[in-house]
Amino acid sequence: MKTATSDIVNAATQQPPRAAYVHVPFCRHRCGYCDFSLVAGRDDLIASYLAAIERELTRLESPGLELATLYLGGGTPSHLGPDGLRRLFDILHTRLRPLPGAEVTIEANPGDVTASLATAAVACGTTRVSLGGQSLDATTLVALDRDHTPDDVRRAVDILLTRGLAVSVDLMTAAPGQTLADVDRDLDALVALGTQHLSVYCLTWEKGTQFESLSRRGMLRPADESLERSMLELTIDRLEAAGFEHYEVSNFARPGGRCQHNETYWDCQPWEAFGPGAARFDGRERITNHRSTTTWMRRVLGGEDFTGDSETMTPLEAAQERVVLGLRRRDGLRREAFLNASGFALDDVAGASIRRWIARGLATDDGQQVRLTREGLLVSDGLWAEVLRPM
Amino acid sequence: MSIDCKHIRNFSIIAHIDHGKSTLADRLLERTGTVEKRQLKEQMLDDMELERQRGITIKARAVRMECRHNGELYELNLIDTPGHVDFHYEVSRSLACCEGAVLLVDAFQGVEAQTVANAYAAINQNLAIVPVINKVDLVHARVDEVLTEMEQSLSIDPTEVIKASAKTGIGIDDLLAAIVERIPPPTGDPQAVLRALIFDSHYDSYRGAITYVRLIDGTVKKGQKIRFLETGVTHEVLELGQFVPQRRACEELVAGQVGYLVCNIKDVKQVHIGDTVTIPGDHAAAAMPGYKPPQRMVYCGLYPSEGENFEELRDSLEKLAINDPSFEFAPESSEALGFGFRCGFLGLLHMEIIQQRLEQEADLDLVQTAPNVTYQILKTSGETINIRNPQDVPDTGEIEEFRQPIVRTNFLTPVEHIGPIMQLCTDRRGVYLKTEYLSPTRAMLTFDLPLAEVIYDMHDKLKSVTRGYGTMDYELVGYFPADLVRLDILVGGKKVDALSIICDRRDADRRGRAIVKKLRGEIDRHMFEVALQAAIGTKVIARETISAMRKNVTAKCYGGDISRKKKLWAKQKEGKKRMKSVGSVDIPQKAFMAVLDTGAERP
Ligand SMILES: Nc1nc2c(ncn2[C@@H]2O[C@H](COP(=O)(O)OP(=O)(O)OP(=O)(O)O)[C@@H](O)[C@H]2O)c(=O)[nH]1
Ligand code: SF4
Ligand SMILES: [Mg+2]
Repeated sequence: MKTATSDIVNAATQQPPRAAYVHVPFCRHRCGYCDFSLVAGRDDLIASYLAAIERELTRLESPGLELATLYLGGGTPSHLGPDGLRRLFDILHTRLRPLPGAEVTIEANPGDVTASLATAAVACGTTRVSLGGQSLDATTLVALDRDHTPDDVRRAVDILLTRGLAVSVDLMTAAPGQTLADVDRDLDALVALGTQHLSVYCLTWEKGTQFESLSRRGMLRPADESLERSMLELTIDRLEAAGFEHYEVSNFARPGGRCQHNETYWDCQPWEAFGPGAARFDGRERITNHRSTTTWMRRVLGGEDFTGDSETMTPLEAAQERVVLGLRRRDGLRREAFLNASGFALDDVAGASIRRWIARGLATDDGQQVRLTREGLLVSDGLWAEVLRPM
Repeated sequence: MSIDCKHIRNFSIIAHIDHGKSTLADRLLERTGTVEKRQLKEQMLDDMELERQRGITIKARAVRMECRHNGELYELNLIDTPGHVDFHYEVSRSLACCEGAVLLVDAFQGVEAQTVANAYAAINQNLAIVPVINKVDLVHARVDEVLTEMEQSLSIDPTEVIKASAKTGIGIDDLLAAIVERIPPPTGDPQAVLRALIFDSHYDSYRGAITYVRLIDGTVKKGQKIRFLETGVTHEVLELGQFVPQRRACEELVAGQVGYLVCNIKDVKQVHIGDTVTIPGDHAAAAMPGYKPPQRMVYCGLYPSEGENFEELRDSLEKLAINDPSFEFAPESSEALGFGFRCGFLGLLHMEIIQQRLEQEADLDLVQTAPNVTYQILKTSGETINIRNPQDVPDTGEIEEFRQPIVRTNFLTPVEHIGPIMQLCTDRRGVYLKTEYLSPTRAMLTFDLPLAEVIYDMHDKLKSVTRGYGTMDYELVGYFPADLVRLDILVGGKKVDALSIICDRRDADRRGRAIVKKLRGEIDRHMFEVALQAAIGTKVIARETISAMRKNVTAKCYGGDISRKKKLWAKQKEGKKRMKSVGSVDIPQKAFMAVLDTGAERP
């Protein structure tokens, strides 16, 4: 095993992050499948939240960071409303300064999107909105415990596109009761919206959610695995046919429409993050803030340690992670880029595994670039254990 | 000042499992002032972690106590023994150090299978028996009936039985008096040449092997040179002492006493339980006969898990063996599992305990194959071979006669459960021998049964058909011809040698079906379809398939998700420990036990 060329790695870690994530933990109601870090129906906490964000931002020395991308996720940032959004951005701008041409994304729920919200967003420098549409079928939206209608989604997309914002819509598959034909119709309707970007997620049944507890009691039934697979395959086929590029497991973009912020994660570049449950990465260590909104707030405002888990990686572990995140992308891994970025030759990190996958039709290798086949991608979680194996 | 033999009493406490031996030992430790009341805890001598977890005694433990009787001071050396049938060997070793045995019988349970077995072991060694009915405090105590059972089954004179409660302390003084009065003192001569029996030992990582001895003749002093006759090595005694119950050093041990020796022995192969300790040179004492080697009833393979070390496993097995001479091990190799050991045990509990001790005390991860009994094959060449591993069964053409071990099994049961026990034994091809009545309500049934039928789940089945009241004991009668076959299991088209079993031809179909079905539940889905087959020779008799994993991909993997998802993936990796890969199929440890599945209900 070769050791990392330390200069290369240090060079990477010493660069200040050019991406930042801010977690906005408020929703009107908690959807039955959602296990995100958030509080529902607690708008009384917004003021303290803003104060805590302001305080956490002081981790950065003035004047703060110049950013190529800024991403406000949640929760539902749009739940803050036009005024709340302005206040949040005012605070963020004290330390986070998007460069000209930067990608600034906010997540929004269709029901929150109004002309005045869009005006406020644009005024704050937003360039892109990721919309929690989930479906354009009324029955599916009910099954998913969402509080908007298909028309809300169409109207929201209209408003946003008219303002010149780039738009992404989330689609959920394998919802309770959803059929393959339902997904087929959803995909048609989604493509027709004319957005630059789509994210498609298969419903997962996380511990602690209402859906999971209902399924344990036999009152909801998860879709079976082969249906999930058919839905994912149909999605890939239809969206590719419609001109979208399937650039990561769950993400599809028209040419030029990829989410640059998310690509930072998958490129293993450093990024900053603020808010409850938010994770930041300096190239070596990933630190996650405390997941509970109230605990995070109390500790930030009380001057206590508000971080939760952290993970420090050796250069080799970082390289192993790069293999995983890279192969989940359409572009896969280029040997030369991998060596430059990680200091390790790809074949030293995962050569034996890659050869096995190729033999089983799960991966391809043209000598320069290794990619998973569709089959490989669909079962890829089963591959990572061997890559992450300590050597 | 050394004590003279007349004032020493050496005795073991013996009984069926759970009749209260260790609790009685607590009372004796307390009454003799050996342990202060505030330091006393329940079943104090069960200090091994596994003993406390399971609430049973696994290892015999010796303790020295003092008591006054009629104005004179006596040294009492007590050995608390285990009651479970698998540890009978511990009992017989302990008895060899004693002149007497306190035989406990639970006032409610009455005489049970190991009561009889252990009592006979003591009687056969000519030990004085002090019979005790314990737990007389129980509301449901049935003292008079139990007296009859003791008289009928063991010819014990009811007037000699002490009624006691190890819980409340009733009868403990009577018992101490009886121990001094009824058990003869040892007969050794402190002036004679040193002769001591090693009855136990254990390995201490700082001090090396510590040997537990009973002095028969002579005296041993600190600094003295001694010789182990069997291994022929000479050592200097660095420390010696007695158990109170912790080790307490003293200056010398004399004939009749029980204690320990520390000689800085790092090579565990130099210590043999049953060996004789004497002086170096020409005037050494003659070797004592030692112990009869124990009869290993079951064998299984123990292999290091993925990534664990074979040498380390060997080391740990050697160290454990000096503390437990009743298991044996020999290197073997398996196509599926690599290099490991075939180990022989006295029973399934013993096997489980050894495996857990290896994991806990030596911090090893093991893959264990399903246990099997030993078979005998008479080959057409006239040679007889012992089969400890189903892999070693030769081609059918070479087999003249395939023999299995038969055990004579005694069942002690309340009479109302005789019917179900008869049924149980007939289903397992048992041969009925006799029924004896110990009292109007309790009987002893005797059957000859194939050991393989007895060892795996007979005990559980017996407990369930007798609502917990039936007990059993068995001893090997010999090897007898039967219609046996080797059943092989193929995973993904490849025969997995470690999954082969030997069974009666009439059971092969049912067992084969049960095994592949069970395996289907134990082996995770892979990215490809995995075929499971059971076969006799080239003939496939059962088949199942594990369908391929069709979708397994994390959808969300953004900034905050990465660490969490990695933990999940790592967990799958953790799960890969205790796995062995055969071809490209990962087989978890539990799957190797699937072959024990007998196919649920019998016809
Ligand atoms: N009521 C009552 N319970 C008792 C008495 N003696 C022991 N017990 C209980 O019986 C159970 C078994 O006691 P142990 O002393 O562990 O029995 P043992 O014979 O040493 O068991 P093994 O060593 O495993 O064979 C425990 O729950 C004791 O508390 C007694 O005199 N009266
Ligand atoms: S709106 Fe989104 S973040 Fe909020 S509860 Fe629903 S799924 Fe979760
Ligand atoms: Mg005990």
